Amino acid sequence: MIILHREDVWKVMLDQKKIRLMTKMAIYEKNYGKEDIKISGYYKKDYTSLNTWATLIWITFGYLLVAALVFLCGADALLENLNFVKLLIIVAMAAGAYFALLIAYGVGSGKFFRKKHAQAKQRVKKYYRDLSRLEKIYKKEYRNHE
Amino acid sequence: MSNLLVWKEKLQSFYAKHSTYISKAVQFLTGLLLFGMINYNIGFMKTASSVFCTVGLAVICTFLPAVIMTLAAAALVLVHFYALSMPIAMISALIFMIMYIFYFRFTPGKSWILIVSVLSFGLNIPFVAPIVFGLLGAPVWIVPAGCGVIVYYMIRFVKLSATALKSSGAEAMTEGMLSFTKQVLTNREMWLMLMIIVIGILVVNAVKNRSVDHAWKIASVSGAAVCVVAAAAGNLLLDEMIPYAIIILSAVAGAAIGFVLEFVFFSVDYSRTENVQFEDDEYYYYVKAVPKVGVTVPDKKVKHITERQPESGEGSAENAIAAASENAGQGAAGYPGAESERNTEEILLTRSLSKELGLDQEQQNENNIQ
Repeated sequence: MIILHREDVWKVMLDQKKIRLMTKMAIYEKNYGKEDIKISGYYKKDYTSLNTWATLIWITFGYLLVAALVFLCGADALLENLNFVKLLIIVAMAAGAYFALLIAYGVGSGKFFRKKHAQAKQRVKKYYRDLSRLEKIYKKEYRNHE
Repeated sequence: MSNLLVWKEKLQSFYAKHSTYISKAVQFLTGLLLFGMINYNIGFMKTASSVFCTVGLAVICTFLPAVIMTLAAAALVLVHFYALSMPIAMISALIFMIMYIFYFRFTPGKSWILIVSVLSFGLNIPFVAPIVFGLLGAPVWIVPAGCGVIVYYMIRFVKLSATALKSSGAEAMTEGMLSFTKQVLTNREMWLMLMIIVIGILVVNAVKNRSVDHAWKIASVSGAAVCVVAAAAGNLLLDEMIPYAIIILSAVAGAAIGFVLEFVFFSVDYSRTENVQFEDDEYYYYVKAVPKVGVTVPDKKVKHITERQPESGEGSAENAIAAASENAGQGAAGYPGAESERNTEEILLTRSLSKELGLDQEQQNENNIQ
């Protein structure tokens, strides 16, 4: 968080480059800062695998909810003339749908979180570069004052 | 057309100046419309359906991100459903949860699409949604738009069968829950509309991304046509009763909004299209470059010229004449060219004033006397 004191504001008002840099950084901090720094604290592989596993758990929970709704909706039709073969077919279909969903979301979320990590890392890199530029400007100012 | 473009530029600069207030006002109006619509249609809990609550929620959501508005709307719907029947509220919560798990968990920022989708259906202009989403978004927007359709039909079903769903006994509650689930998930009109929205968005988006001239216009019109044809076909095949007035009017409104969006977001000049071809070591390139239309707003500056008021009396007129003749003298002494025109005017002015005031006669008399 960049805080400008009143006396500093007057000093930097003349330095357009510094103001631009600080504004850019403040906008970044406001929109992405916290989350990006949190994300970039992980290695890409760790971040992706952690979030993919979390997604798979969520998907399992979501699938159970969908299954419950489908069962509520078509319980009569499902249980009508229920025998072993029909039960086997229903179970196989349900398992097939579940695994298909897991694979689809596993692959999709892997890509999604990899991309998210890469983007966050790039933004953080730019932010640190801007910070070092700002530091240089401050040092230069300090030397000039001395 | 150029006037419209100038207006567009003016509006853009106005928005740039007051973007904070405009976006907050839009957010407030959306909230007001959304919460008002929910409370008007399914206001089973009196406290939550009051005007105070509607306006209060809209005001709160104005200062918070769009995702909070979606959450607040979902909560309001659940509260009203709970007031009607607890099992219905539970099933609705399950449906909301499924939507969150499968889509909104990844992109909560896109939840405004669901709101717009519900609002377009609530305002009886359902085919505006596929055209707007197809033009402005990506094919993946079919998911939040579809969620919006499901939510709208869920609310509509509860509104239409409120008395039947209201139950108190345990058995009646279970029956109500089963019937609600069945009705919501097997509503043929809902699935038909869902199909139309999905097809509409895909068609509009596919046409919009072509490199043909007037792609956005063609996309809007073709999207509207596809929606009308699909809705009419669905009406005939499934014996559904989507009113034809709504089908046609919403398609026309959608196409019109598509044209407006094109004007705002994609104004290009197809008459100056350049088709160029070049190559490098690996590829041949066929490039079509369409220039954007850019109009600079005329910077009108009003210059106030205060006319020097002549002082009253003959003396002042004489002064003016003297000044004019002096200027004329200076002009004559000065360089010719641009100045000469001004000097001629001044000399003529001096003469006409002298004639009017009779000064030339006095001068002649004086000369005669001398």
